[in-house]
Amino acid sequence: MDFSRLQEALASKSYAKVATICDGLMLQVAAEGVAFQDEWPYAIHLLGHIYADDINSARFLWKSIPSAIKEAQQEVVAAWRIGQRLWTRDYAGVYEAIHGFSWNPEVQGLVAAFAVLYTKRMFQLLLSAYSTISIQDTALFLGMNEDDTMNYVVQQGWTLDPSSGMLTVKKQAVVSEQKLDPSKLQRLTEYVFLLEH
Amino acid sequence: MNAVEALVAQIQGLSGSVADLSHLHNLLKQADDSLLNESTRLLPFLDQLDPSKHSLGYLFILRACSSGPISKEQAGELVLIFSRFISSCAAEQIRLAPEKFISVCKRFKDQVMLLEAPLRGVGPMLTAVRKLQSSSEHLTALHPDFLQLALLAKCYKTGLSVLEDDIFEVDQPRDLFLYCYYGGMICIGQKCYKKALELLHNAVTAPMSTVNAIAVEAYKKYVLISLILNGQFSSSLPKYSSSVAQRNLKNLCQPYIELATSYSSGKISELETFVQTNEEKFESDNNLGLVKQVVSSMYKRNIQRLTQTYLTLSLQDIANTVQLNSSKEAEIHVLQMIQDGEIYATINQKDGMVRFLEDPEQYKTCEMIEHIDSSIQRIMVLSNKLTAMDEHMSCDPLYLAKAGRERQRYDFDDFDTVPQRFNI
Repeated sequence: MDFSRLQEALASKSYAKVATICDGLMLQVAAEGVAFQDEWPYAIHLLGHIYADDINSARFLWKSIPSAIKEAQQEVVAAWRIGQRLWTRDYAGVYEAIHGFSWNPEVQGLVAAFAVLYTKRMFQLLLSAYSTISIQDTALFLGMNEDDTMNYVVQQGWTLDPSSGMLTVKKQAVVSEQKLDPSKLQRLTEYVFLLEH
Repeated sequence: MNAVEALVAQIQGLSGSVADLSHLHNLLKQADDSLLNESTRLLPFLDQLDPSKHSLGYLFILRACSSGPISKEQAGELVLIFSRFISSCAAEQIRLAPEKFISVCKRFKDQVMLLEAPLRGVGPMLTAVRKLQSSSEHLTALHPDFLQLALLAKCYKTGLSVLEDDIFEVDQPRDLFLYCYYGGMICIGQKCYKKALELLHNAVTAPMSTVNAIAVEAYKKYVLISLILNGQFSSSLPKYSSSVAQRNLKNLCQPYIELATSYSSGKISELETFVQTNEEKFESDNNLGLVKQVVSSMYKRNIQRLTQTYLTLSLQDIANTVQLNSSKEAEIHVLQMIQDGEIYATINQKDGMVRFLEDPEQYKTCEMIEHIDSSIQRIMVLSNKLTAMDEHMSCDPLYLAKAGRERQRYDFDDFDTVPQRFNI
């Protein structure tokens, strides 16, 4: 089995590619009839799907793993535990699953990168869903202690109401590219003209 | 055996130019019967051929090799020969004999199943589909087999890759039914419910002269996905669906129709009782998981309904109206729906209130214009295709003979370019 592309992706921290590389490689070795299961980097494969926010694929991969491997390799089980928490939307539980296992060095980078990414995703979620939220809940969502949480959100312009212990969320203005290709507009105008006549 | 040796020599000599290949094809067709008689002794001859250069000849011999019964031990060896052939063969050669190629690939699938290793077939089968296709619009006889293997091997994501193509050309009706059914299941697994509904809809409304089991199973899932995605189900099928489907499918899927009726009441406890009493039926159809998703989608539906009435509402009121146990539970439901883009709202924890918002999309970003533009382009292509197909059909002698016979008198309609009556 040639894992060089996977090694490369991990070394260059291109974690978003990990799942696709693993998927392709798995089909390739399976077609050649290689009994790959015992040597397969299931933990990395699972985490690759999780990193790419594709919990469905992670779940199907988990289901296809032979039970002997699930019993023998704790890291695979630990990787799926993250997926499981994501699946059940146990937002705070995800951090417990990340920190509750001492990962192998080759997996460590991927897990750490996912943790950062997940915190960002959660922050975006809070931003879109809340106008005010308690410090305790914010800390759970971001996976930090309350002091770190305060520092993190104050930097983003949130303010604390000391009497109620509630944070006021500051919405970020979404900047989107507004520059338009005139030919596109021209074409749309032609369509409308055609439809009206 | 000399005849086979001579044939191998001819394959080696005649696999170069197009003219040579068509000559070789004729020779192979003539030799096909004798090859089948020799089937058990042909395997060693494959070593003398290069699957990428002598694809056509290799295909005929491989087909003959695998025509007899195959034991499990032989299958282990043959599967590898098959998968290497599929991955290295030249597409323009195997397309000269598509039936042979399809039959070889189906044999390959049978053996992979015999070995209980569907994963071994997924990659090669995808390659086979791509090589056999004349264009991405062409549904081959191998599409359903590929999707079935992808389902069995739990490679749902790989399965999705062929479902993105728009299909306009179908060889056999059965291929389409199976493609839509398996494709629908793949999309359900990946939670692409919109695409799943589209595929299942195509299976249910496709022309059929008698009821088939695939359409019945597709209809059951169609009901469930409609409820999950749209929160409602209309049991009357569109006019263009076959009368067989309109008349029979409903009666064959009674529990599902009743489920939809119970859903429309909006009462979660009623729905739960109904599901409990009919659990066995759903379980034996392997649809219990989806049925449970239908039940939990009702909370969402009820919350969505509230957004149409209220601008702000307390979490406690939401919990009371949609029958959740606590305001915290209501908050989690609302949060998840915001995360999935199913409602637009902000939660105010301090006051325990939810404010419902309008869809922030203002249809003026570049991406949106890009999107509108590409949709219009696609519709234009589709419309051209329809016109072309319509013209093609109105020139078809078979159709004209039938339409002419049924029309008693000649009247103004006859001068229309498009016939007014369709009897399909």
